[in-house]
Amino acid sequence: MKRLKISKRALKGTILKITFYLLLVLISFVFLEPILRIVVKTFMTPEDIIDPVVDWVPRSISLNNLKVAFKVLKLPVTLKNSILFSGALAIMQTFCAALTGFALSRYEFAGKRFWFVMILMCFIVPTSVLMIPRLMMFVTVQEAMKFTLIGTPIPQMLMALLGQGVNSTILILIFQNFFNLIPKSLDEAAMIDGAGAFRVFWHIGLKLSLSTVLVVFLFAFVWNWNETYVTGTLLRSGLELLPSKLSLFDSEFENAVSSSGSAFKLNEAYKMAATFISIVPLLLLYSFVQKKFIEGIENTGITGE
Amino acid sequence: MKKMKTWKQRQNRNGYLFMLPWIIGFAIFTAFPFAATIVLSFMNVNSTILGFELSFAGMSNYITAFFKNTEFLPALAGYLKMAIPYTFVIVVVAFIIAYILEHITKLKGFFRTLYFLPVIIMSGPVMAKLLETKTSDMQAFADDEYLDLFIVDMIASYSRPLAGLVSDTFTQLSTILWFTGIPIVLFINGLQKINPSLYEAAKIDSATNWQILWKITLPIIRPIALIVTVFTIASIGTYDINPVYTLIVKYMANTSGGLGFAATYAWVYTLTVLLLMGLSFLILKEKKTKVKHY
Repeated sequence: MKRLKISKRALKGTILKITFYLLLVLISFVFLEPILRIVVKTFMTPEDIIDPVVDWVPRSISLNNLKVAFKVLKLPVTLKNSILFSGALAIMQTFCAALTGFALSRYEFAGKRFWFVMILMCFIVPTSVLMIPRLMMFVTVQEAMKFTLIGTPIPQMLMALLGQGVNSTILILIFQNFFNLIPKSLDEAAMIDGAGAFRVFWHIGLKLSLSTVLVVFLFAFVWNWNETYVTGTLLRSGLELLPSKLSLFDSEFENAVSSSGSAFKLNEAYKMAATFISIVPLLLLYSFVQKKFIEGIENTGITGE
Repeated sequence: MKKMKTWKQRQNRNGYLFMLPWIIGFAIFTAFPFAATIVLSFMNVNSTILGFELSFAGMSNYITAFFKNTEFLPALAGYLKMAIPYTFVIVVVAFIIAYILEHITKLKGFFRTLYFLPVIIMSGPVMAKLLETKTSDMQAFADDEYLDLFIVDMIASYSRPLAGLVSDTFTQLSTILWFTGIPIVLFINGLQKINPSLYEAAKIDSATNWQILWKITLPIIRPIALIVTVFTIASIGTYDINPVYTLIVKYMANTSGGLGFAATYAWVYTLTVLLLMGLSFLILKEKKTKVKHY
């Protein structure tokens, strides 16, 4: 009697497990379906694209789409620009986030709670409500100082350096939580040895948290890469970036075709190939450091300790 | 001799020293623009060669937005029709996935990595391209492939718009799931922090897994659900799938007098977003436990 009960329970457990895995696999498919579609269509021939019979498996593989998309996206240039642009902004954002996170973690200053709430508010307020005055401000300064700002990366660099870049709030939270883990006695020891506040920050804060610095940098890099609204408003076409080229792909394609005088027609495959190319750098990055990304979000501590 | 500063003074000074860049940035690039948008929404903005010309317009921007313009209200309604079901589905699905991931042993890391992937590649242009092809694929088959489903039919007999909403949610399921990347990690993190002895105690009292889920896990996870909901509402609005967002972008590009309108739209939109967050706060905030008298 007793044995039967146990085996029944075990059976129930196994069935539950199988259901769980089945569900997870199904969900994975829904997650990956858009990416798979991008990849499949990238390698399809024009005939396969139009043919309604061909849905997932192409009849023959062609690299032509990739070549065309490569050309239209002006790949070597835009890729380099995108990496440099996102990288520069990410470094600046990381630096400011580290400073702010250090202040929140290490010092008990008047109004700390207020500033912390303001940092959280920065995340909640939609960017679109801020962009109009920001744009007007930069235009006004530009007119007054006779110095071009719109169409250069300077406005965004200023914003990143002063902690108002993409999702800065999350970056600050990651830093704050990591700094909280470093014992304060280390600071005190350094201060007794005569280190100033900034030296403590540099040698104890940053040098002990190099992996956190990397995580924050990676997040900032990816988010700056994917950001198009602020970039579209302030940088416009001042720099040729990969994501903005992708969003203008249709018209860029027409331009490229009409200037070369050939009879190419825009189709899905070209668009998908372009999309594929623009996400490949990020996929590569993710394949190397995926663990870091997930740990980073876990370390925001917004789920409470 | 220099006078020594007290501990408190030093804390204040150093704290503000490190906060300074952020505070300056906040004042210039966030606090001021926020207030300015409210002011601008009551203004006519003309951009001339000499700069911007402002003139007071009273409520006319608002009157135009709500009563004369035919784009704004539908866009706002479209946003609400998207944000409410999406947020609901994202939070629920993220919790279910996190719960399942917490209860399996093999391949846990693999699935987690997979579900986090969209966070890395999600951007406006990529989403736009995907939605474009999705709609063109759809036209090849039927308008709403899920409207024929039995369950949707059943809902349709009750209320047609609701069925449309359900079928929309299904068509967009991939897009919706792409937003669950960070919520899943937050939920898993929260689940791991629940004290295991609570479960043990419940098991000793012969509670089933189902009861444990409803009586222990969900009440404890409620504050995290609130964070996830607010996070989702904040992140969902910044893509081209949001009709208000595209409208604001369009009006911002129109420099001849469009900026005042854009400010009005942006401000009303922000109020809507904040209202939604407030609503989710009311729904998910921790209820005071009522003492039952027997």
